[in-house]
Amino acid sequence: MDRTLAHHLSEAAVSVELETEGMTLNIGPQHPSTHGVLRLVATVDGERATNVRPVIGYMHRGYEKLSEVRTYPQIITIINRIDWVSGFANEVPFVVAAERLMGVEAPPRAQWIRLVLTEMARISSHLVFMASYPLELGAATPLFFALRERERVLDLLESVTGGRFHPNFNRLGGVKPVYAAGPTTKKAGMDIPSGFLAETRDAMTKVLATCDEIENLVAGNEVFLARTKGVGIMPVDVAASYGVSGPNLRASGAGFDLRKVSDYLPYGDFDFDIPVGRNGDCWDRWWVRLEEIRQSARIITQAIDGLPSSPLQAKVPRIIKVPAGETYVRAENPKGEMGYHLVSLGGLGPYRLKIRSASFSNLSILPWILENALVPDFIAIMGSLDFVLGDVDR
Amino acid sequence: MTANPSENSASETASALEEFADRVAAAVGGRAEVSHGTVKVRVAPTAWKDALAVTSSDLGLVFLSWLSAVDWTNDVAVGDEPGEPVEERYELLCAVSDLSEGNLAIISTDLDHDSPSIESVADVYPGANWHEREAAEMFGIDFQGHPDLTKLYLPDSFEGYPLRKDFPLLSREVKPWPGKVDVEDMPENGTGPSTESPGS
Repeated sequence: MDRTLAHHLSEAAVSVELETEGMTLNIGPQHPSTHGVLRLVATVDGERATNVRPVIGYMHRGYEKLSEVRTYPQIITIINRIDWVSGFANEVPFVVAAERLMGVEAPPRAQWIRLVLTEMARISSHLVFMASYPLELGAATPLFFALRERERVLDLLESVTGGRFHPNFNRLGGVKPVYAAGPTTKKAGMDIPSGFLAETRDAMTKVLATCDEIENLVAGNEVFLARTKGVGIMPVDVAASYGVSGPNLRASGAGFDLRKVSDYLPYGDFDFDIPVGRNGDCWDRWWVRLEEIRQSARIITQAIDGLPSSPLQAKVPRIIKVPAGETYVRAENPKGEMGYHLVSLGGLGPYRLKIRSASFSNLSILPWILENALVPDFIAIMGSLDFVLGDVDR
Repeated sequence: MTANPSENSASETASALEEFADRVAAAVGGRAEVSHGTVKVRVAPTAWKDALAVTSSDLGLVFLSWLSAVDWTNDVAVGDEPGEPVEERYELLCAVSDLSEGNLAIISTDLDHDSPSIESVADVYPGANWHEREAAEMFGIDFQGHPDLTKLYLPDSFEGYPLRKDFPLLSREVKPWPGKVDVEDMPENGTGPSTESPGS
C-alpha cells in the first residue's frame, strides 16, 4: 500500500467517528411543491432529517373573523376560496349547517345538483393531484392528460354555476335558481343548462378513459414505484390522532368516508365503493385518489340518470336570520373532512364560525412523518398528502 | 332510488344520537346536550384532560376533528352583540370522532374570561398541538404543558388576540362595511335594498 492511500484511509476512518453537526435546511416559502406558500425548517444530519418544523400562516386571511361581520349569503362568497381547488365543495357544509339551524331542507333536485357538483369538484381536485404529483417526482406527461380532463369538468361546473373555481352557487335552502347567463337574468323556470346531462355523461366516459391512461403511464413506471412504495408510511392510529382525514386516512387502511355515514347530501341513494389502501405509503395515497375519481364518475353517472324534479329553492325569508343555536356539520371533501361549527345568536351573521379545514390537520402530521425521512423523499411525501395552503391557513 | 333520506329513519337517528351522547357523558363525567344533530358534552375545566383521555382510549373516539374556542362576551367590537347578556367566558371546544359509525362528540369546558388557562391535551391527541397554538394566539388562552406554544399563523411580534370579540377589525374602522346595503333585490316582492347588516 502506498503512503497516499494509507493516508486517505486513515482520514476516512477519522471522519466516520467525528460527531457531525446538524445543519438547518430551509425549504420554501416559495417552492413549487408547496402548493401555496409553506416553509419547512428542517434540521438534517447528512441526508436524513432529524427535526422538521413547518412554518405556516403566509396565506392566513382570517376567514373566521371576517365571517363574524358578514351576512350568511355574503359568507358563501368567501368560503369557496378556502380550498380553491374544490371551491364548490367548501360551500356545501356551510349552507347545510345554516339550514339545520333554520329547520329548512333543500329540495331534492337542489340536493342532487349539489351532490353532482361536489363530485365534480372532487374529480377536478384529484385530477390536479394526478397532474402535479408525478410532475413533482419527475414525470411530466401525466399532467397533460389530467389537466385536459380537468378542464372538461371545470367547463361543466362553469356551465351550471358561472364560475370555474369560485362558484358561489349555493343558497340557504337550495341552489341558485337560475343559470347566471347575465347579471340580471331572472327568468323563472330556468334550470341547469340544456345539454348538461348529455355532456356530463360524455365527460364521465372520457374521465374514466383518462384514468386508465394515467394508470398505464404511472403505475408501471419503475421510477415512480421506487419513489413512492414504502415511502412516508403513516399508520392509521397516528393519522387519526393528528386528525388526518380523507384519502390520506383511507390510504392508511381506515375505510371511513363521511359520505357513507353522514347525511349532509343524499349519498345513501347511490352505489359506490370506498377505496382503501393497505400500507399507508405514498403509493397508496396516489392509488386511492385515482380510484376515487372513478367512483365519483360512477356517482355522477347515476345522479344524472335519476335527477329528481322539484324546485331548486326551499321557501326562505327575504332577509335571512338564522335562529339561535349551534351545530357542527362536516363533509367529505376532496382533501378530507371539512366542517363548520356555526354558533348563531339569531342575527344576520354568525356569532362565531369555526372552520375545520382538511389540509390543516393533514399538514400537522408533517413533523412526525418527515422525522428520519431522507431529504430527497421530502417532496414525494409532502406531495402525496395533497394539501393546498389556502386550506391550511384559511 | 329514493329522492331523500327517508323520514322514518330520522327518529331512529335522533335516539341513536341521544344514546351516544349519554354514553359519552357518563364516561367523561359531563353533561350531554344534543342540538341540531350535534352532540356536546360539558365538563369542568379540571376534568378537561381526563375527559379527552377517556374519549381517545375508552370510547374509541380516536380521530381529532378540531379544537377551538368561542368568546362569550357582551363587549363586542365588530359583529353581532348577544341580544341578551351572556355570562362572560371562553368556551373551549374539542371535537372528536370515531372511525366507524361517524359519531362525533364535542367536549366543551368554560374558561375564566380574565385569565383563560387550561391543561394542554397535545400529548393525548398529538394533532391538538397546532389547534392549541391557534387558539392561544387567536384567543389568548394559555395551554399549560404545551410543548411549543408559539404563534402559528401570526407574526411573532403581533400583539392582541384577533378572534376575541373586543378585537377591532381594522378595515372596518377605516371604512364602513360596503356590504351594508344589500344590493341584490328579489324582483317578486321589490321591498328595496335592505339596510340591515350584521356589523357596523
